[in-house]
Amino acid sequence: MNEQRAPVRPTNTGPGRILVAVYGLFAIAACSRAGVQLATRFHEAPLAYLLSAVAGVVYLVATFTLAQGSQTSRRLALVAILIELVGVLTVGTASLVDPAAFPRATVWSSYGIGYGFVPLVLPFLGLFWLWRTRASSVE
Amino acid sequence: MISWLAYTVIALAGVSVVWGLVTAVANKPPGKAQLIYAGLVELVTLVQSVIAGVRLALGASVPETATTIGYLIGIVILIPIAWFWANNERTRFSGVVLAVAAMAVLAMTLRLLVLWTPTILQ
Repeated sequence: MNEQRAPVRPTNTGPGRILVAVYGLFAIAACSRAGVQLATRFHEAPLAYLLSAVAGVVYLVATFTLAQGSQTSRRLALVAILIELVGVLTVGTASLVDPAAFPRATVWSSYGIGYGFVPLVLPFLGLFWLWRTRASSVE
Repeated sequence: MISWLAYTVIALAGVSVVWGLVTAVANKPPGKAQLIYAGLVELVTLVQSVIAGVRLALGASVPETATTIGYLIGIVILIPIAWFWANNERTRFSGVVLAVAAMAVLAMTLRLLVLWTPTILQ
């Protein structure tokens, strides 16, 4: 309640630190997963494995931009989280509607069921946090 | 993988998860004992990864070698990163950060057990 006059509240403090930690965890998970998949069996499911790589990069960008918490990085974080949201919804739906197109799992398959649906919840939390810490917040 | 060692890691990490959440609910930053305990969990995790790594090097065969190696390496970097991130700003939320890392170690150890012995789920 002391910082309500600040033009923008940093994203990397308080509960934001949990968000950065979870994003970081998924950045590591998705990037390693994509790395292993692309290096060892790219030919089996190029689409799924490229999507894993995209997911990894998106998580990586979100982690660093949220951890930085500057005005510019907020914009980048917003873009990354929106891509993440569209990605998890699109891939989640597509993997259920047409399982044949996704023979190999990605982080976003079935809305992230393999990761306790955290990938589905995370973008909403990310957007909420950006909104909560937005400029001229009325508290 | 050595089952009892894996279950030890799971149990130790589980305590770390609960501890982190409890201090967060109690609105306290992680205490010294809690941070030392996280170090202990890390140590046992590291021992597990080293033993598994040596076994792999000595020719133990697993169905998914690359994934297993990835997990064995990934699992040991989580707690140190969380530890520094938690220490950097010591609030109730630091405890949750530690809990998140411990939860990941727990989940990854379960996954490693399955990777090592695929028959466990069949």
